[in-house]
Amino acid sequence: MTEIVTPAQRAAKPVRVRRRVPTRTPHQAARAARGNGRLGGPLAALPWALPAFAFVGVLLVYPFFRSVYDSFFEDNGFTSTFTGFDNYARLADDPIFGRSLLNTLMWVAGTLLLPVLAGLLIAVATHRTRFGGIAQLVIVLPYAISAAATAVLWNFMLTSDGAVNQVLRGVGLDSWAQTWLLEWPQNTLSMIVASTWQATGLNVVLFAIGLRAIPQDTVEAAQLDGASGWRMFRYITLPQLRAVTVVVVGMAIVNSLKAFDMIWILTKGGPSRSSETLALSMYREAFRLFHIGYGSAIALVLSVIVVASSWMYLRRQMPEADARTANAKA
Amino acid sequence: MGRTVRHLFIAGCVLLWLIPLYLLVVNALTPAAEYTGKPEWTVQGFDLVENLRTAWNVAGIGDSFQASLLYAVVCGLAAVLIAAMAAFAVVVLPIPRPAFWFWLIYSGTLFPLQMFLAPLFGLYADANLYDTRLGLMLIYAAWAVPFAFFLIRNQMTTMPPELTEAALIDGASFRRIFWRIHVPLMKAGLAAAFIFQFTAVWNDLLLGITLSRSPDVQPVMAALTTLNNAYSSTGPPVILAGALIVSAPTLLLFLVFRGLFLRGVTASAR
Repeated sequence: MTEIVTPAQRAAKPVRVRRRVPTRTPHQAARAARGNGRLGGPLAALPWALPAFAFVGVLLVYPFFRSVYDSFFEDNGFTSTFTGFDNYARLADDPIFGRSLLNTLMWVAGTLLLPVLAGLLIAVATHRTRFGGIAQLVIVLPYAISAAATAVLWNFMLTSDGAVNQVLRGVGLDSWAQTWLLEWPQNTLSMIVASTWQATGLNVVLFAIGLRAIPQDTVEAAQLDGASGWRMFRYITLPQLRAVTVVVVGMAIVNSLKAFDMIWILTKGGPSRSSETLALSMYREAFRLFHIGYGSAIALVLSVIVVASSWMYLRRQMPEADARTANAKA
Repeated sequence: MGRTVRHLFIAGCVLLWLIPLYLLVVNALTPAAEYTGKPEWTVQGFDLVENLRTAWNVAGIGDSFQASLLYAVVCGLAAVLIAAMAAFAVVVLPIPRPAFWFWLIYSGTLFPLQMFLAPLFGLYADANLYDTRLGLMLIYAAWAVPFAFFLIRNQMTTMPPELTEAALIDGASFRRIFWRIHVPLMKAGLAAAFIFQFTAVWNDLLLGITLSRSPDVQPVMAALTTLNNAYSSTGPPVILAGALIVSAPTLLLFLVFRGLFLRGVTASAR
């Protein structure tokens, strides 16, 4: 409708592209069957894949396995001794790990609730309205600036003399003004709000793409049947947005588990490690306290949670679309 | 939703989203020396240039800015080229076991960065790559390849194989097919992948603070963090000016190439 439509419609295209499993395409199979040497044999393609393989293999795949291996050692940066599963056993008794896990859960719940819901509401409210495009643009703007810059800005707003408390005192809610970042749990909650401010924009864009993809016929048919307002939203819009919602929620889970920049800049996980998430605990253990093995164990736990949750979620949400779609998830 | 409620809701949201941005700009304008310790809500003076200069020179954002620009441009381009080559190999050429190659390269994006950090640090210390620009460029390129590969491969599978076959019959070499057919036809997709990787490298904090220390090697986000830690000594106007500086490239990219930018980032949502 407005000026945002054209680029965003182009943006809609890749979302709907059918993903394929990386197998031989029919013409490749046919070529292989013919067995002619026109393509220079099966090894001719290898040089093309080699640079990617070298980079990823040396700098990502090898460190990954090394990290798994290291998690079985007690390592302080100088000496290392094999301790088997001791690091994992320690995790169970570590109160900081427990708090860290709890904070991570709060991040997952919070970023599922706020940015997804706000994104959906804003997208629906701005859909097909005169200034909807401009409103969307304003809300996406923070997404274009980094999490680190967002954190710096919100640090400025959330300090004891910050803008948030100023506003609260200004409107007579003095008792609401507080040290946002210095006490648990409001430090974690404030940071979730700050990240909502940054992340909602992308969800708005995604939902807007989904809304535009709803066939006009469906909407008109529902209107003829007398649906409008809430009923229209509940029985027509929401089910039609299912595919986008799966994507948005899946992404929210993964991103909230990995949350680091915002917390590192706003509280450094403090005070006294009360606002750490798993991503932060790993960093502090490995690089501030030099418990490399213990840090690696936390990283592995985090990795397992990330991969397992996104896999399970996608499995549940698209049983009909089979494993390959789930696998293709970023 | 009633029309009025709807408009009020939108207006409220826009306001909520604009207030922090407004505060960012207004307080970055405030002369650092006159800052009272509390956020200003009205323009108190116009000292933006001076604040930017302080952040750029004294706080060392300038050095990091140049370093980050180098990382983001070079590693973004390198990653897109390497990924496009790998996608070409996996999709178009008769490589044995394409699924294996796909998963090998793609697996690099599945795990949180924390999983690679500690061994990388050890590796870099041993290879004398710690705190060097080369070291950061290597890891940024490696980190950017898997996802660029995923994006480009998905797009390449939609290209009709007849194009390649026709070119082969005409006697074109692989290199010629890649540069003359695939790269030109996928220009928009490659550009979107580049913008995505540029943004990712530019916004990285974790690799930066782990693998570097000196101001001329550290990427901008790490420099901004350092500046922020010196909160009381530098004063908020300078820090916010720093935040403006580090946001400028991605913001500019967003405003100029909005279609490509959104296509790049929304592609990450698949």
